[in-house]
Parts: sequence; structure tokens; C-alpha cells
Amino acid sequence: MKTVYVGMSGGVDSSLSAVLLKDQGYHVVGVYMKNWSRDLPGMKCPWAADLADAKRVAVRLGIDFKVFDFETEYKQKVVDYMLEEFGKGHTPNPDIMCNQEIKFKLFYETAREQGADLIATGHYARVWNDEVARLKELGSPLAGAAPEQPAPSLLRAVDENKDQTYFLYRISEDAIAHTLFPIGGMLKPDVKKLASEKGLKNAYKKESMGVCFVGEVGMEDFLKEYFPEKAGPVVDLDSGKEIGTHNGAIFYCLGQRHGLDLGGGLPYYVVKKDIVKNTIYVSRNLNSAELWTNELALEDVVMRNYRARGLANDKEIFPQKITNARGPESRTGAKRNLGEGPTERCDFEGRKISRSQDPLPIIPVYVRLRHRAELIPATLVGNKLRFEKPVKRPAPGQSAVFYDGDVCLGGGIVV
Amino acid sequence: MIFLDYASATPVSEAAKEAMAPYESAQFFNPSAPYLAAKNVRDDYERAKSDLAHLIGAKGDDLVVTSGATEANNLAFSALDLVESPTVLVLETDHASILNTAKKYPTELIRVDRTGLIDLEDFQNKLTRNVAFVSIALANNELGTIQPLAEVAQIIKRERMARLVAGDARPLYLHSDASQALNLVPISVARLGVDLLTLSAAKVYGPKGVGALYHGHNVKLAPIATGGGQESGLRSGTENVAGLVGFAKAAAEAKKHQTYNRKHYEKLRQVLKSELEQSEIAPLFLGNPKHQLANFCPVSFPGLDAERLIYLLEDDEIYLSTGAACAASKGEPSHVLKAIGLNSREIAGSLRISLGAENTEDDMRIAGQKIITAIKTELARK
Repeated sequence: MKTVYVGMSGGVDSSLSAVLLKDQGYHVVGVYMKNWSRDLPGMKCPWAADLADAKRVAVRLGIDFKVFDFETEYKQKVVDYMLEEFGKGHTPNPDIMCNQEIKFKLFYETAREQGADLIATGHYARVWNDEVARLKELGSPLAGAAPEQPAPSLLRAVDENKDQTYFLYRISEDAIAHTLFPIGGMLKPDVKKLASEKGLKNAYKKESMGVCFVGEVGMEDFLKEYFPEKAGPVVDLDSGKEIGTHNGAIFYCLGQRHGLDLGGGLPYYVVKKDIVKNTIYVSRNLNSAELWTNELALEDVVMRNYRARGLANDKEIFPQKITNARGPESRTGAKRNLGEGPTERCDFEGRKISRSQDPLPIIPVYVRLRHRAELIPATLVGNKLRFEKPVKRPAPGQSAVFYDGDVCLGGGIVV
Repeated sequence: MIFLDYASATPVSEAAKEAMAPYESAQFFNPSAPYLAAKNVRDDYERAKSDLAHLIGAKGDDLVVTSGATEANNLAFSALDLVESPTVLVLETDHASILNTAKKYPTELIRVDRTGLIDLEDFQNKLTRNVAFVSIALANNELGTIQPLAEVAQIIKRERMARLVAGDARPLYLHSDASQALNLVPISVARLGVDLLTLSAAKVYGPKGVGALYHGHNVKLAPIATGGGQESGLRSGTENVAGLVGFAKAAAEAKKHQTYNRKHYEKLRQVLKSELEQSEIAPLFLGNPKHQLANFCPVSFPGLDAERLIYLLEDDEIYLSTGAACAASKGEPSHVLKAIGLNSREIAGSLRISLGAENTEDDMRIAGQKIITAIKTELARK
């Protein structure tokens, strides 16, 4: 019997995941990951209640239950990274970092050390790996209607509305090869219904929103505890005139509309910010060139699954296998991996299209610039994304995630 | 449902409910309002306060009505506001509302023995000239261990005399939280020798959100809530008339049936204990068998995870707890069980069982058997 360590948060998704794994005959161990939280007066972070909910489900199922205390690591790898990025004027995504560093690294590694064959979480995503192939042969619904792939692959959830691969694109191939997403093949309403049928009392519990350690106060108030407020000018980009004062460029996000008390009339949008000069540039023009772009430069690009897509030969596409790529350690700890490349262009079927002047491989992809945002066709050339039509520029620090059909090909961080 | 967690909450008694009802509707007036109808409410309030005070051998004016024991404990520490650089002594098994409030001052913890009883020698050694405030709960909220408070008071009296002789005018106050004890222990502030005493309605079948602090005439308190000057200026805010009336009624009832209840609970506890003796894992009964609230039956099944037992038993509508509710909700092991020297296996396997008004002998047998079944389920899993 294979042992699966399932991350349990106390919510309906991970609870039902544990149930389904048990029904499938796995030896299931529930794990609550305790992340960093602030125990301050006025701060409500319901980890203790979530832990109790998770444990309650585990006890009902008659499975072992453990608590992994990742508080220190979470603070270092997720919170500190996030603050550092904000300090540079970027808008990082802590959930992506949490998956990369905590759930699919620390949790995965700790579980394996303790004897787990596989890990599982309640994410809305699908994987293809040996275990899923076996499940598919058994006709198990746990296979999640995953299309067959030749190699470990990360695939979008069946419920397009809940798909969480945007947050998962940076997790390691090794983890993917040993992960199950038991509800990735289900629609959310069916998850709730089945959870209710299985007697899970939290089936209708309010879903947690936002980043737990930030709590109800919101990101701006959280940041204010670490960065002092500092008055700076608000400049109208179109007229070049200073039209107001803000309380710190760090607290503003590109594209943000609210929070700038600039009097009546049409709303202003933050289109640019200069963190060094502590200046915010705004515009009333929704078509402002600053807001739109045809090209996005990325850094810390990770590529996955190019073989699984059926691309003829990864060596042809990339001279070095991406996961083994050598390169300077990047900011996020990921290897920088796109630099030089061959001169072939391939389409998704792996056909060589033509020789190009461009020294880098040109890879057609679909891109998602925000969680649940639409898929936009683009081409990836080295570390640049090129779009046919201009796209609204995401804030630096956000992720662009690439897809080919159901398969998540990887992604990078917007410069 | 078999409720076995009366140390955390008690249902409001029918008599208290009835006594409270008028003040929540027809007699809703603010006791400070000038018309006669309001004055009548004021009189009822003062009478209830007086009744409650009499139950502990005090006068109505000696009580400050608060929002509960936690606020009363906080207010008790305000006696230190006028004392220069005071040191505080608290029992290491005391409630969080004492331990966390004491953190504002240099504090020493008084040790307890394996049954939770105060180590009087340790107390005497730590009772130096700088100590201005001693707080010792009359009965512990996890073990039910009843402290020999009169003996503590004797030691304090001697220290006060020694200070007088030495020409040292610094005060020394004795405070006790009697929230858990009020239900089953006859209390007289004079006999206990306390200067300050905390009471709670929520543990004696009165409403939640009402408590009181007794303060002797020698103690100068400083209000936490200032405003309209209610409670002789020690706790501003419109009086909780219904709450106090319910509290006084419930406490009076408790006192009236105290002797019977003690014997009744002792009997029930014996039935439960003999059931639990049948367990595959020998139960380790905690606390002091000679000095324990009769409704407390804390027990450990070493090696088991008590939380898992609780979740299994809640399906059978049997409700019990691990440590004190507030400690357990933080997911931290109980400081009380650590203080009495339990090892981690014993702490993890500890249940706090506390009996109350609705429990019957049959309940004890059923609950005991269900607990044993839950233990079997857990052992089978391993």
C-alpha cells in the first residue's frame, strides 16, 4: 500500500482530497502545515481553528495526523522575500513563493523523509505522472481525466474557474512526479456536494481569501508595519504636473485606481512609480502607453513539460535541459535558464518551421498574466514574451505563466 | 448530549433566567436615570450586589461588578498602581488572565507539587520585602486542586508584621481567583484572609460576561474603564443589571445546594472513575484527591492523543476538553500540566473532565464506556 501525505488546511478542498485518497485505498497521513503568523493584539489569523478543523477530519477518517511547523522557513522564504520585493517597488506573489518553497519543497521533502511515497494537496490542478497513469488504468476518478503525457506534467484543472496552476508553475519536476491533486478533475460545486455527502462538516465553511499572515487588514496596512510612510509627489504623466501627495510609493500598485485622493472627475490610475524618488505617476488615460505593452521582459523563467508537449527533442529547443541548466543563482533561488539557444523554430507539434535570424528559440504559448485571467496567445523568445495585441502591463514582480492546451509550460516573473 | 466541560461553561439556571428577565424588557431603565422607575432598578441592582457580597461574607460596597473574571483579575492588579517598583508572586498554575497581567511587573512563579498544590516552602522563600502582590487561585481551573489559602494568608500576615517591625510601610496584598471554587467551596473573605477576590457568574450557572472583584478597605484600586463614575468610580459604564441579578441568584442557589452537590458530584465521579479503570490504558487521575473540587475529574491516558478522543466523542455528543479552553485553542500544551511535572506523553493524553448539574449516574456509565470505546478505536489505528 502506498503512503500519501496530504496537506490539510481544514478547508473543504483538502478535506475531500484526504477522503478520496482513503477511499482509493492509500495509506493516508494528514499534515497541517503551520506557517508564519503574527500573534499580535488585533490580528486574527485563524490557524488554530483551521488546525482543529483539519485534525477533526483526520480523526473522522481514522487517519494519522501530523503538524509540520514551517514557521521559521515560511518567514524567511515567503514573508521576507515578499517584503524585500516590495521594498524594490515590485509586486510579488507570496502564494507562488509558498508553493515553490514550502508546500512543494519543504513539505514534499519532509513527507518523503518520513516515508511518504506521494504527497497530495487540495489544489485545483492536475498532474500526469506514473501514479496518475496507474490510477487511470484502474479507472479511478482520482486520475482527474488527465490526458496522457509522456513525462511528469502539470495540467490545468478541469474547473477552469478554479484552476490554480498560475500559483504552481514554479514547483519542481521531482515534486510533480510524486504529487496527486485528488480534486483537480472535479468542479467546485461537485466538490462541495460530495464533501457534504461524505459528512464533512466544513463543506460550506467560508473560504479563506487572501494571504493568511496579512490577515484581514490588507496588504497596505501589513506593509506599513515594515516600511515607514513617507510623503511623496503624485505626478500626472500626461501634463507632467505634480497634482497631489501620496504616503509612500511602496504602497501603490501599477494599475491601481483607488486610494489616491485627487479630487473629483475621472479616476486616475497609477501607471508608473519611481521607488528611489518616491514618486508616483498617474494618468486619466486608460489608453496610456505606460499601461499597455506588446512585449514583456521576464526573469527567473522556468520551463517545464516541453517534452510532454510532444516537442520533438528538447535538445533541439534548448541546448541544455532546462532543469539542469547552469546559470547564476537568481533572486528567487531558481536557476536562470534561458540565454543562448539553437536557431530552430518549432510549433506545438514539434515541426521545425523555419530558420530564423533570431538566435533564440521561438515558442508559441498561451499566457496567463493573473490568476484566472484569460489565456492570451503570445510567443516566447528567450526571456521575452511578444503579444500580437497590446496587453495591460502587469506590475513588476507578478508572474506570467505559459500554457499549451491543458499543459502548464512554466512561466517567469515580470521585470 | 452528555456535557462534561462545566469548568469552561455552565448553562444559565432557570431561576437565574427568571430573575434576569424583567431587566431585559420592562425594567430596562438606566439605574442612573432620575425618575422613580429607574431608581427602583438601581435599588434592585444594589440589593443583588449586596446579596452576592453576603455569600462571601462581604458588603455590597466591597464589590466592583465587571465583565467577568478576566477583567476582575486585571482590575485586581491595579492595586499596584500606587506601589513603587512592586514585585509580584503568582502561582505557576494560575489562569492566563493572571499570568499575562503579571507580566507587566517583575514576577516570580510559586511552584506546585505533582498534585497542583502550592509549595508553601517555595512561597515563603520567594516572599521577599519587595513583594507587593500575591495571587493564588482558590481552585485551579484544569485540575480542580484547592489551595490552602488560609495558610498562605497566615504567612502573609507574618510578613506584614515583620515589615511593620522593620519600619517598612510597603503594602502586601493577597488576591485569589475564586471563579472555579465559588460553586462548591464555602467562601468567606475573612476566613480566607484575602484582600482581593475574583468571582465569575459563568461558572456558577449564571450568565456569561459578568464577574466581580471583592476588595478590602485597605486596597486602593485604579479604574481600567473611566467615564461616568459607576461602581464608585472603579468601573465606569452603565450597570449590567440583568447580569448582576442573574449572577446573585445563581450564586445563591449554588451556595444553598453546596453540600448536597459536593456529595453528588463525588459519587458521580466515583462511577466515572470505575468505568475508566476498565480502559486498556491505565488512567492516570490528576490533581489532589484530598483537595479537589468534587466536580473535577482530570485524567490522562499516556501515549494517546486526547484531542483525537475529543473529536471521536463529539460524534456521540459527549463534550469534554483537554486543557483550559483558551490554552487549547492556541494549540499549546497546558502550562498547568507542565507545571505539575507531567511528561509530554502524559500531557498529550490528558482530558479535562468536569461535571455539572445535568449529569446523572447513567451519564457517567455511558460516557465512561464511550471514552473506552474511543480509546480502543485509537489503539486499533496504530
